[in-house]
Amino acid sequence: MRVKACALLAIATTLVLATPPATAAGPVILKVAIVQQIDSLNPFLAVFQSSTEIGRLMYDSLTAYAADDQRVTEGIANRWEPSADKLTWTFTVPDGKKWSDGQPITAQDVAFTYNLMLTNEVARTANGGFVANFSSVTAPDDRTVVIRTKAPQVTMLALDIPVVPKHVWEKVTDLKNYANDQMPVVGSGPFVLTEHVPGQFIKLKANKNYWRGAPKYDELHFVYFQNSDAAVQALAKGEVDLVNRMAPAQFDSLAGKDGVTRNKAQGRRFTELLINPGAQTRTGEPIGNGNPALKDVRVRRAIAQAVDLDALVQRVSLGYAEKGSGLVPPVFGKWHWEPDAQQLHRFDPAAANAALDAAGYPRKDGTRFTLRLIGRAGRAYDEQASEYLKRSMSDVGIVLDVQLVSDNQLNEMTTVATYDLAFSGWATNVDPDFILGLHTCAQRPGPDGKGGTTDAYFCDETYDQLYARQLSEFDEAKRVEIVKQMQARFYDQVPAVVLAYENALEGYRSDHFAHFTTQPAQGGVIMAQNGVWGYYLAEPAARAEQPSRGWYGLGAFAAALGSMVVAIVVATRRRKATAGERE
Amino acid sequence: MSRFLAHRAGVAGAVILVVAALAALLAPLLIPADALDVTRVTDAPWQPPGAGHWLGTDHTGRSVALLVVQGAGTSLFVGLTAAVLAVGIGTLVGILSGHFGGLVAGALLRVTDFFLVLPGLVLAIALSTVLPRGLGTIVLAIGLTSWPTTARMVRAQTLTIEARPFVERARALGGGHGHVIGRHVLPSVVPLVLVNATLAVASSIVAESTLAFLGLGDPTRISWGAMLHQAQLHGAVPQRAWWFLLPPGVAIVVVVLAFTLVGRALEAVVTPKR
Amino acid sequence: MRLIGRLAGAALSLVMVAVLGFFLFRVVPGDPVVSMTRGRPTTAAMQAELRTQFGLDRPLHEQFWNYFTALLRGDLGTSFTFRRPVADVIGERLGPTLLLVGTATVIAVGLGLWLGVLAAWRRDSAFDRATTGVSLTLWAVPTFWLGMLLMMATGEVFPSRGMRDTDTAPDFFSQALDIGHHLVLPSVTLVAVVCAEYVLVMRSSLLEEMHAPYLTTARAKGLRDDLVRRRHAVPNAVLPAITLVFLRFGLVVAGAITTETVFSWPGLGLLFYDALTGPDYFLLQGLLVVTAGAVVVMNLLADLLHGVLDPRVKVV
Repeated sequence: MRVKACALLAIATTLVLATPPATAAGPVILKVAIVQQIDSLNPFLAVFQSSTEIGRLMYDSLTAYAADDQRVTEGIANRWEPSADKLTWTFTVPDGKKWSDGQPITAQDVAFTYNLMLTNEVARTANGGFVANFSSVTAPDDRTVVIRTKAPQVTMLALDIPVVPKHVWEKVTDLKNYANDQMPVVGSGPFVLTEHVPGQFIKLKANKNYWRGAPKYDELHFVYFQNSDAAVQALAKGEVDLVNRMAPAQFDSLAGKDGVTRNKAQGRRFTELLINPGAQTRTGEPIGNGNPALKDVRVRRAIAQAVDLDALVQRVSLGYAEKGSGLVPPVFGKWHWEPDAQQLHRFDPAAANAALDAAGYPRKDGTRFTLRLIGRAGRAYDEQASEYLKRSMSDVGIVLDVQLVSDNQLNEMTTVATYDLAFSGWATNVDPDFILGLHTCAQRPGPDGKGGTTDAYFCDETYDQLYARQLSEFDEAKRVEIVKQMQARFYDQVPAVVLAYENALEGYRSDHFAHFTTQPAQGGVIMAQNGVWGYYLAEPAARAEQPSRGWYGLGAFAAALGSMVVAIVVATRRRKATAGERE
Repeated sequence: MSRFLAHRAGVAGAVILVVAALAALLAPLLIPADALDVTRVTDAPWQPPGAGHWLGTDHTGRSVALLVVQGAGTSLFVGLTAAVLAVGIGTLVGILSGHFGGLVAGALLRVTDFFLVLPGLVLAIALSTVLPRGLGTIVLAIGLTSWPTTARMVRAQTLTIEARPFVERARALGGGHGHVIGRHVLPSVVPLVLVNATLAVASSIVAESTLAFLGLGDPTRISWGAMLHQAQLHGAVPQRAWWFLLPPGVAIVVVVLAFTLVGRALEAVVTPKR
Repeated sequence: MRLIGRLAGAALSLVMVAVLGFFLFRVVPGDPVVSMTRGRPTTAAMQAELRTQFGLDRPLHEQFWNYFTALLRGDLGTSFTFRRPVADVIGERLGPTLLLVGTATVIAVGLGLWLGVLAAWRRDSAFDRATTGVSLTLWAVPTFWLGMLLMMATGEVFPSRGMRDTDTAPDFFSQALDIGHHLVLPSVTLVAVVCAEYVLVMRSSLLEEMHAPYLTTARAKGLRDDLVRRRHAVPNAVLPAITLVFLRFGLVVAGAITTETVFSWPGLGLLFYDALTGPDYFLLQGLLVVTAGAVVVMNLLADLLHGVLDPRVKVV
């Protein structure tokens, strides 16, 4: 009798579990997969790309970059004016913009944010570089911000600093340990942070007070994935709506998938092959143990000539990349530089061989010398590209000793310059100042070997002079010209070979969201923009169907578990019964 | 020997091991020179099993079947050397702590117990994060974290042997430490150590695959674990490329099972039934 | 006396864990701040600021002293990645891991012991051979591989990641159902691997018990085999097996790391993996100290429990 009761109970449980819960017409949600962790939601501390992106959704900056062509456009300020000597900048914050709690956004908020960074070292953790040249920031009235700089600075309209509400943040005493998790978090951007479960998800709600107008859907969820593999699977199943940073093979696997649209965009990153040009500290002390042959620019040029960039793009990136040239990726059109026929290090092993012979490194038993190539273990690009480089170098008589190491070891080896060749790469901004400045002499480490940010150890007088000139050149056409000259100089001196600008590979559920705005309009990205357009302007599909869930899986599992329990109970009871009878 | 042959499962395991070892040793002969060089492979990636490649191709167009053969060498090498290292340390510590009394034994026992308790994989992961990538690191990480079981068993055996009358007699007749350990203790622990080593190889191979899967392996070598790491890295699951996922895993399971079966058979031979 | 000895031993082990945790991650060359900021716009001044924030500019012995005294207060330092106290980061991941490991252990223990008893009972039967064979095979299966296979085989039946969907209704029933749905594959994976060990141990433990002299006595008294086994042998054999569950807690921890990694289950194991890819040394150190500490404590419990339950255990 009891057996039957148990069985009935098990079946009942199974049925309950197998019945999907009624789904009411809920809010329209855009679910975005992120693979990188969130380090902090405090915009003064957030360093990771994923966190800064969410920060932009919560807080506007003084200015913004337009979606279609990335020109500077209205942010918190709608007008700006430099003084004649370019040392004083006046920004106007218009009336009518509000924080998500209804308080007006004023010039006081901007001055508060910038002054916090000027006075508090902790507040400079994430974006300190932007204010290094500031001497004062004041707000003479609620509409006007006045910034004075120590020297003329061309990047005054590229201040990518989230402006925080003074009435909330002036109460924060311990900035270093402030997690910014008083939900909902008061902000000025198109979305308001409402929930954060570390390692799982982040939820934001549309900001109805947003000055550009409320977003066209209700909620934006960032769902954390441990790897892009799982994210791509989830996109295919409709569990998330938007995924980026796919590997080429993953991108290909989504071709022709119903309800999924792919976006192959120009990326903002470049991948490079560092060639240790004889690393030195800022004071000129040699450091590290790079192969002395690489000090010879003829050798470095020969190596550049021996690398088949087209093969790397085709075989390693499966065509989802553009061949490398200058330091600024082609996505930033006007700043990008391409070598002309004369400047080009054309792929030509024979010429490279001849150049190496001429430089005084003849082959002995077929080889000239050995170089160490350092790459990161676990990064698919490094693992594959090193195989190709090994072969290319052996064609010109150079033996490559490939060492794939952990991220940390790679950093260590590049900061103390114990490499000959190494893979590296950088993300670039709309304004090329950072990536150009990275290769000036001043970025090399100090006498104690610490405090450097470069990993290329490039130090060239011509380049440094050009860098100083472009920094105070306010005529953009002329500045573009100088920036291109700098890239040409870098290319000519070859402290590194820019291998490729990899495409940003994204995919979205076009059955849930009909349209996304890319930046720039042609070949642009949806995620990781210099702005929030991709998320903010997303348009839900006319009949946004919520994906139905495969509850039958749980049902089947519950049934299996239930019947197992029944089996055990039955088995035990039967044995007891027989034992009892026999006794 | 004949007693071992009576254990059919053990014999089956031994046969499998011979095949795997042959595959590993003959790999250079079985695999054409450029077949696994990604820069020279011309076949399409992600091919399902078919006429050209009977186990399909991986993300670079290399034959999965050849990769499995090539991977046998690394996996077996790591498994064997790590096991030898672990059992070596274990035997040494076990005999020393069993033979010598007092403080030395107490300290050794304390350390053994400490490592016995620690989650080996966690420690191995920590070690291989810290040390430079390479085969040596993996062997070291696994070997240094899996010796305590052997140490415990060897110690118990040593204590038992030393309590026997003939050892006491040897000692009374003036036999030094070296004599007692070399002539009496060592011979009696050898069978036990052998069994332990066989089982340790099994767990070392699994440990190697786990470390490689987590991206802590030697990236310049092909092992079964490294293949699974690649499969995960390049999206074998969403592509449903079962032919890339199944073979290396099956290879691990079969070889590990074989070592386990041989180990159990040896165990049964060494410790006869009461 | 025995109790004090055990407690002192466990305390010593905990101290050793703490020391190991510090030096293992501190003797390596490498500047964590550089790893942290790699590939991003950073100035040397910002790096120096980060270094001071994490106390990395102090001499090693001072760092150790600070670490050790902080540890005694339950402070595990600050995570590079999350910019928050390691103890907090670990604390919020504890729940999901306990849920997964707890569910899996309960099922694995129940199933493992039951199958082990049945197999020993019918020694050398087809059932015994099959159970032992399957267990040995499962024991040889790498956890992560099994997880990937299950994921591929079940296709769209189960969710591919995480513990719950973000758009599930907030009421308890919907949430529980959603979490249950996500829990199926990870727990099946973990059960399969852990269970195998329990089956084998229970089986051999019961077989050993069945040779014990008192059973012969009982049988001689005329009690039927079945009854003898159930009333005497099974209860006695279960004891060592249960102890083993505690002793092999490290095995479950290891299984959890790979299982959580494959299924993006937001627990300690996944945190471990994330800390590895950093690598976030303070977090790794905290995780090592916490997991190893937990295992030490579990062992102590097993030890004490064993002593209480089984009067035959003597002071060694």
